[in-house]
Amino acid sequence: MKLEERLRGVRRSPWVYHLNSGSCNACDIEILDALTPFFDAERFGVKLVASPRHADVVLFTGPVTREALPKVVKTLKAVPRPRIVVAIGSCAVGGGIWWNTYSTIGGFEKFQGVLKQQGVEIDKVVYVPGCPARPEAIIYGLLLALGYVKQKVSKVVKVVES
Amino acid sequence: MQISRIASPLKLLTIALKVGRVTKKYPFGPPLLTESFRGAISIDPAKCWGCGACTLVCPPNALTMRLEGEKIVLEYFKGRCIFCGMCADTCPANAIIVTKEFELAATSVEDLKEDVIHKMSKCAICGKPFVATAEIRDVMKMQPITEEYANICPECRKKRAVKAFGMRFGAST
Repeated sequence: MKLEERLRGVRRSPWVYHLNSGSCNACDIEILDALTPFFDAERFGVKLVASPRHADVVLFTGPVTREALPKVVKTLKAVPRPRIVVAIGSCAVGGGIWWNTYSTIGGFEKFQGVLKQQGVEIDKVVYVPGCPARPEAIIYGLLLALGYVKQKVSKVVKVVES
Repeated sequence: MQISRIASPLKLLTIALKVGRVTKKYPFGPPLLTESFRGAISIDPAKCWGCGACTLVCPPNALTMRLEGEKIVLEYFKGRCIFCGMCADTCPANAIIVTKEFELAATSVEDLKEDVIHKMSKCAICGKPFVATAEIRDVMKMQPITEEYANICPECRKKRAVKAFGMRFGAST
């Protein structure tokens, strides 16, 4: 309820901050692609900013490597409330092909446990799968975070009859 | 000098007019999808055997198989999938199709999961569940084996073969 009210203030012109936590740069290039005049995320008032203190939405890529962990926590601490995170790419969602490597945390879902220990609250998270995610998928995820579009996927259970 | 200063923006303008508008109106218009684009996979439960060949080739382990009592559950986690399409190439029953679906954004990880639940068939001798029912059904269509042979688990089959072999060489039971 309160979050929705606060989101309304952000909706018109969300300023995004691009946070790379050790990704392979494919998703980062797709984010830049989404911001170019070809896909033109600026239609929705999306603007890339250089500091997390100016950001409304964090575009999060990468599986959170151990090397980047303290810096990522520090950066997310600097983002003002409401903190909205759009986790982009299969690495950021479920760990990707580094799902059980020693040197990564394994995606944003597991990383939220670390954030809780540090006392950093995340108000809304949107997961955007794709390896790398398409520019359209990134725009769709961003619009889902801001409440412009409705979610299309849900948990499916199929039972084999035989 | 003065002329070129005026002419150079005009040159840009002519190029811009020639190209026209390039921006994709994506959420309000069709997305830019090519022929070779691979999106999320879809598993057809009518064709799936539950053999688990796709789980062995999946590079990020997005497809996993687990036993839940007397059921086999094939789980597909879209969040970890890298959309390589190897499972669709490997599937012996052609049950997996690569779709062009890419609007997969979700607010929770649970929404990205998909379960295919298989029943297991029991061994005719020891009564232990050993393989998915759909696999027996489809393998019997392909291979000339009897139902009597297919409904026995590998361990009981081994014991029966040893017994038959022994009897040929004069063992009493």
